[in-house]
Amino acid sequence: MNFAKFKKASTGYFFLAPFIIGFLVFGLYPVVNTLTLSFTDATLMSGKSHFIGLGNFQRLFADEVFMRAVGNTWLLWILNFLPQIGIALLLSVMFTNVRLKIKAVGVWRALFFLPNLLMPAAVAALFNALFAYYGPVNQLMVRAGFLSEAMRFLESVGVTRGLVIFIQWWTWFGQTIIIVMAGMTSIPIQLYEAAMVDGANGWQMFRRITLPLLRPILIYVFVTSLVGGMQMFDIPFLLTDGRGSPQSSIQTNNILMYMKFASSKGHIGAASSVGVLIFIMTSLCALGIFYFLRDRDGVEKKPAKKSTLVKNMEKALL
Amino acid sequence: MRKSVLYVLSLLVVASMLLVACGTTPAAPAATEAPAATDAPAVTEAPAATDAPAAELEGTLNVWSFTNEIRTMAIAFQGKHPKVKVVYTMIPMTNGEYQTKVKAASGTADSPDVVALEAAFVKEWVESDLLMDLNDLVPLTEQLKTYPAVVQVGTYDGVTKAFSYQATPGAFFYRRSIAKECLGTDDPQQVQAMVADMDKFVETAAKIKACGTGDYYTVGTGAELFTPYLANRAQPWVVDGKLVIDPKIVEYVHFAKMMRDNGYESGATQWTEGWFAGMNDTLKDANGTPKKVFSYFLPTWGLPYVLSPNSTPKDGGTSTAGDWAMVNGPMSYQWGGTWVGVLEGSPNSELAKEFVKFVALDEENLTNWATGVYTNEYLKAIDPTTPDDQAQAAGDFVSSQLVVEKITSSFDNSTLSEFLGGENSYGAFAAAAPSVDGSFLTGSDDAIQRALNDPLAAYLSGTMTEAEMWAAWLDAVRNEFPDLIIPEPPVK
Repeated sequence: MNFAKFKKASTGYFFLAPFIIGFLVFGLYPVVNTLTLSFTDATLMSGKSHFIGLGNFQRLFADEVFMRAVGNTWLLWILNFLPQIGIALLLSVMFTNVRLKIKAVGVWRALFFLPNLLMPAAVAALFNALFAYYGPVNQLMVRAGFLSEAMRFLESVGVTRGLVIFIQWWTWFGQTIIIVMAGMTSIPIQLYEAAMVDGANGWQMFRRITLPLLRPILIYVFVTSLVGGMQMFDIPFLLTDGRGSPQSSIQTNNILMYMKFASSKGHIGAASSVGVLIFIMTSLCALGIFYFLRDRDGVEKKPAKKSTLVKNMEKALL
Repeated sequence: MRKSVLYVLSLLVVASMLLVACGTTPAAPAATEAPAATDAPAVTEAPAATDAPAAELEGTLNVWSFTNEIRTMAIAFQGKHPKVKVVYTMIPMTNGEYQTKVKAASGTADSPDVVALEAAFVKEWVESDLLMDLNDLVPLTEQLKTYPAVVQVGTYDGVTKAFSYQATPGAFFYRRSIAKECLGTDDPQQVQAMVADMDKFVETAAKIKACGTGDYYTVGTGAELFTPYLANRAQPWVVDGKLVIDPKIVEYVHFAKMMRDNGYESGATQWTEGWFAGMNDTLKDANGTPKKVFSYFLPTWGLPYVLSPNSTPKDGGTSTAGDWAMVNGPMSYQWGGTWVGVLEGSPNSELAKEFVKFVALDEENLTNWATGVYTNEYLKAIDPTTPDDQAQAAGDFVSSQLVVEKITSSFDNSTLSEFLGGENSYGAFAAAAPSVDGSFLTGSDDAIQRALNDPLAAYLSGTMTEAEMWAAWLDAVRNEFPDLIIPEPPVK
């Protein structure tokens, strides 16, 4: 590359520099550092550390603790993601539907989004107090006759998992609605009008127009939610004892990593090995999502993301 | 082009490796240089320090703790040394946040100078290379007759790195009115005879349960007896890199199960609303039936910090103050306590050392601390920005036998004695303190003990069998201690 060419493009490089530097320092360096640490027995409490090869990883698979954490994470994520995307799609369709003409859509959207503004710490503390043995939920349920005696909610695997799933769903579905609605409103209304003229019903329009054109948005929601879900930490950490109690049923990947990091000597080497495995697992899954949800006809033909119905309608319009 | 990309990438990798090396090994050189580093300034600055009066001290000191207690001393320290500024940071330790935060900060630019260390994790730090050698303060402990266990806990391999202002023998607090009603007497000596060992304690628990309409629990939770059981083990948790499950631990687990199954405990979790409510008779079960708790296992600090403040209901009902009495209970034990140490690499190590000396080894400060001199007005006169609730009430049990002997009689008519129906708690603690043993504390205690809570809770509520409980606990311990050898579970 000669100098004149570089000079011409230099403004561009200057504008790119902050991101590149930021990425190298805060993105690439931690990843490389974590990878390096995961092969050592480094601790926070002593300066010496040794290379121990795959020792940390071997230990992770020596008992079921790590695999249980992975299983917990997937379970908690899938069970909150499915209703989240389902409700978000349903409500978004209702809000953007030309026929229904729901009033004050902005207000509803804001109301659904509000839980997302609450601090996870506050939400977790609130639910912890509500469902305590001597807490208000027990008082209410027993006095109303739903329970014969007070129940140890937070010592029950089902209830505690249910609470985590509910809180995650409740705080995040509003955010998903906003993104999905933005995607839906960007679909040209003429397509729906044309479909109506052709006698398509609501389900057909959703299936043949909305879903295909929404695919990039759905992939985005899917992948960001997956990445967030695999790193689920604050709510399960704070809801019970910070160790994924009861019976480690809400002990997620990140809680396990944190426990290793926070244990007596601060075993950062062992904690890093968990981080590395989460990183690999999340990356593979995200790539998988991209692969399976890729636009299959878009590969050969240029005008992408359109089903035959849409194409026919476009022809009709033009 | 491609070659240059590779070149840049490989450079990056090398650079990040270097950064890694820098990032993880700051303590290594510090550890090897430590003796030299602490000796050198001591030699050069010592004459200056003795020539000039102490008021010459100046600088800014970063102090971290997990409660607001030491803030009171920090303000008093500033009163003594007006040129010193103490920046105080409080981080709670409910789920281990404080411990993690200090670990993560040590060795970085955000590292505090002085850290408070609780009994559960002080040994981790004393056994590490991260605390400064404070051996030259040890002669002061002889002058003050500091209880040996207190110094022992702060010492590892002959080097003392942390000191405490407290000694923390434990006790058994019970409600006089319930004792009279169910046991026929509220006299401390007679009640002590009824709970003198664990068999008698269980007999008494059955009497309390059968008494009246059955609305009495002997304790808030059986977990309160964990510390007494721990104190009576024959071996510490870790011996030669191997986890030891002492018979006392197994005994404790069976005891806790028995308490739960027989309804001798309220089922409240320690340090939660329900547990505190028992201290002021506002505990109600889900049906709204009032329940009463007969006794609490608490150490020295439990009286002024936990029991006394919680004896009045939040909505202003009748206080239980005056209805309490204190005896030794079935087992002697010690519980908790706060040590202070100086982090290696502190830029203000001399000032930090002075602060530790003031907090733990200063006769005047310890006397003021224990006798309630540090009122809110006193502190506000030094620092007007002091929060309104910052103060130190009389009654904390201090680590110096010299001070204890001088001030014990001053508690004969104090509010705390009134709280105990006229009993001088200070005198009782003074009798128990010299026999306390700190040799069983190890650096791994905190994590090992916390790992037991969840499996034990599952076992108590019947969702796990005993064998499953032991297995779950050992799995948890194994995952937090990669190097520890884990024995077979006691029950399979």
